[in-house]
Amino acid sequence: MKTPGKILAEKVKHIRDSNQFAVRSSALPTWCPGCGYFGIHHALSGCLKQMGMPLHEIVVVSGIGCAGRYPFFSNTYGLHTVHGRTLPVATGVKMANPGLTVYAVGGDGDGLAIGGGHLPHVIRRDVNINYLLFDNSMYGLTKGQPSPSSPVGTTTKASPFGTVDKPLNATLMALTYGIGFVARLFAGDPEGMRNAFVEGTRHNGFSLFHIYTTCVTFDKVNKTWDNLKRQIHPLPQNHDAGNLRKAFDAVLDDDFTTGIIFQKESA
Amino acid sequence: MTVEVCGMAGDGTIAAGGLINEAMSLGGFSVLGFDSYPAEIRGFGRCVTRSRIGSEEIVALADRTQVLISLDDEQSISRVPFLVDNGGVIFDNNPSGYREETKSLAAKLEPGISLFGMPLGDLATGASGTVRGRNLTALGAFTAIFGVPPDLFRKAISDKFTSKGKAVLEANLKSFNAGLRYAEEKFKDRATPVFDVRNKLGSGKRVMLSGNQAIAKAALDAGLKLYFGYPITPATPIMEYLAKQLPQRGGRVMQMEDEISSIGAVLGSYYAGARAMTATSGPGFALMTELITHGVMAEIPAVILNAQRGGPSTGLPTKTEQSDLHAAVFGGPGDSGRIVIAPTNVEECYAMTVKSFQLAEKYQTPVIVLTDFYLDNRVENLASPAASSEEKADWNMYPHDSTRGKYWRYASTESGISPRALPGTEGFIYTATGLEHTERGTPDYSPENHMMMSAKRYRKIMGALADLPSPVEFSSGRELEVGVIGWGSTFGSVLEAVNTAAERGLRVGALKITSIFPFHADVIRSFMNRCGHVLIPELNYSGQLANLIGHLHNKDVIRLNMVTGVPFSPSTILFEIENLVGAGT
Repeated sequence: MKTPGKILAEKVKHIRDSNQFAVRSSALPTWCPGCGYFGIHHALSGCLKQMGMPLHEIVVVSGIGCAGRYPFFSNTYGLHTVHGRTLPVATGVKMANPGLTVYAVGGDGDGLAIGGGHLPHVIRRDVNINYLLFDNSMYGLTKGQPSPSSPVGTTTKASPFGTVDKPLNATLMALTYGIGFVARLFAGDPEGMRNAFVEGTRHNGFSLFHIYTTCVTFDKVNKTWDNLKRQIHPLPQNHDAGNLRKAFDAVLDDDFTTGIIFQKESA
Repeated sequence: MTVEVCGMAGDGTIAAGGLINEAMSLGGFSVLGFDSYPAEIRGFGRCVTRSRIGSEEIVALADRTQVLISLDDEQSISRVPFLVDNGGVIFDNNPSGYREETKSLAAKLEPGISLFGMPLGDLATGASGTVRGRNLTALGAFTAIFGVPPDLFRKAISDKFTSKGKAVLEANLKSFNAGLRYAEEKFKDRATPVFDVRNKLGSGKRVMLSGNQAIAKAALDAGLKLYFGYPITPATPIMEYLAKQLPQRGGRVMQMEDEISSIGAVLGSYYAGARAMTATSGPGFALMTELITHGVMAEIPAVILNAQRGGPSTGLPTKTEQSDLHAAVFGGPGDSGRIVIAPTNVEECYAMTVKSFQLAEKYQTPVIVLTDFYLDNRVENLASPAASSEEKADWNMYPHDSTRGKYWRYASTESGISPRALPGTEGFIYTATGLEHTERGTPDYSPENHMMMSAKRYRKIMGALADLPSPVEFSSGRELEVGVIGWGSTFGSVLEAVNTAAERGLRVGALKITSIFPFHADVIRSFMNRCGHVLIPELNYSGQLANLIGHLHNKDVIRLNMVTGVPFSPSTILFEIENLVGAGT
């Protein structure tokens, strides 16, 4: 019979041997089985492989939360900071060495609650950082409390009678702040994510990837795989990502269209 | 000699004080100047500048003033108690607008004071067409009465106003000359030429610098690349100075959205290998503490200046205080030892800022430089500070190439200093984290690991003592009746009080402490135990340095705490020394 240790060793070996996982570190992710973050990791790894960037010239900066653990699972330089401060720290990294490609990674609590004040300013400064916002509307690492993007009525241990606060819409906020690149994506669509990551990494300026994902452990009602798969659909083929009004329309009309919503390099 | 200029906000008080400092510095005197102004920009506040001028090095402001130049009677009345008994007052005896007799300055002065009343506003208007030059008219009178060579002032005026155009410069010179001529004629018999320029200090060129300017200059000379900051009194002038100078050296100044993002960007920048700093005051420093401890845990260098002001909370934004020592040494979660240093004068502001960059990189840790409102804003004329000659490359410890591929970022070495690799270097990939981690950098919360890594981090910080300036003793003998320990801007007042006490025949000594954490416990203990009494004057209520080092003494240290918002008065310290000596006999 296989011991858990043996199973782990085999998995690690599988990851090491498989060329598909070249960007992944030897540490096993601490995310729950079935978590959407695996898909995001897979897609970003695919993007890095596709673009052929040397891994030692990449820095992943993260905050606190399940998403904050990302750098440990990635075979790049990593900076795991404190809660909510991903974007200012990433700004310092990029300013210090513009030759590095910088990814900032964080969840909806990290990026929209405690760190929400940084988003407008990093957009104003337009430093060339690529920000992956993992939005599952749930505080997972603290075992299930509502987040700033939870829909009204979300029931958790911290909100037994349902939440009353209105949710934030990160994509809409970013457009309002004057962002140069924003994509809304779905963790269940690795191909769509990889394409957007490549485009956004090439974009010379701040890029936001607003990724709808799941918390399979603490959210059985809202952003579940079943619900998201049913709701998510791509932008129309003829969407004009260079037109800000069209971008606003696309977001205002529909909470679940995915793709590159807006893309325009500042003069 | 101490000269004060006093007026309402908007009277040109601060400009006049600045010109006195510059002119007397050009004359070769030692100068220490300090202004106080209201927190409101164009309110109804009182502005006072104080300039102490001497032919020997000045270490502190004096308690009493010899000459008061009044640009506003009502405001200046508050300065009368500070005048020496035979002081002089220059004032406007024909001000615009009606003034009640009870609010006139002349009515409040004691008989021994020399009055030099003259129509400042009328003279300025007659000479230059505008009343705005009356501050310069008063300086002209000061020059004539006290025997300052007028060319010193003319040079200072042209240095200050040339960039504002010929018309402005001419108008100011005319106002100055009008005051000079009037006073030369009118006060011929009462002139008291006290400034003997032959008495001046060495002829080397001296530069007039404030503490803030010295810090900014030092940062540039230490190779600063990026400055991140958020406006806050009294640290803002550093950002403003660097905003102009840093781009010329290929660097950048970024005004961030708050102090949290400022320190965050400093850490990010140092992680990626560029020298960076931020400057703030108490309220901003409080916001930074979480990320400062991240720098401690992830072993990322950072340079943070805390220009202290009155607290707690918003406190007294334009008043001086030394009440952030505990926050600097202990602020933040966990056992987060970091280096804290505190210069005591403008020259040390320069030297210790350079030092802070060196320490931050060598020991891979945040370094906090503690100054205060008085030290930041006072000006001193110094022999031009020299840049550090130390090899900047040696500040770092990078991994040996043989460790490529099996690199341990947080290796627990004997010194506690681990090899630091910069992103972009092939073969040394690692993740820096604020979680407790192993020597390789992977999260680990086991008891053995947390014990080992905590010890490693403290071993490193305590090891920095070897590179930190030792306390300096100024004393008149081995056995001392009273030993006074001072830090920060208060030390100058301590030294002046101790020197005066020694002249009066007391066996006294002063100990200057600039390394706040870690501190030289052995040196401090041996000084303390040679003293009958140990006195620690501080501009805070709770005696924060005394709390930190008091346990080193074999009996209670004596605390002398003032929270008056103004620099520590040497005579208050002297009074306490004499009391202690009296009590001991």
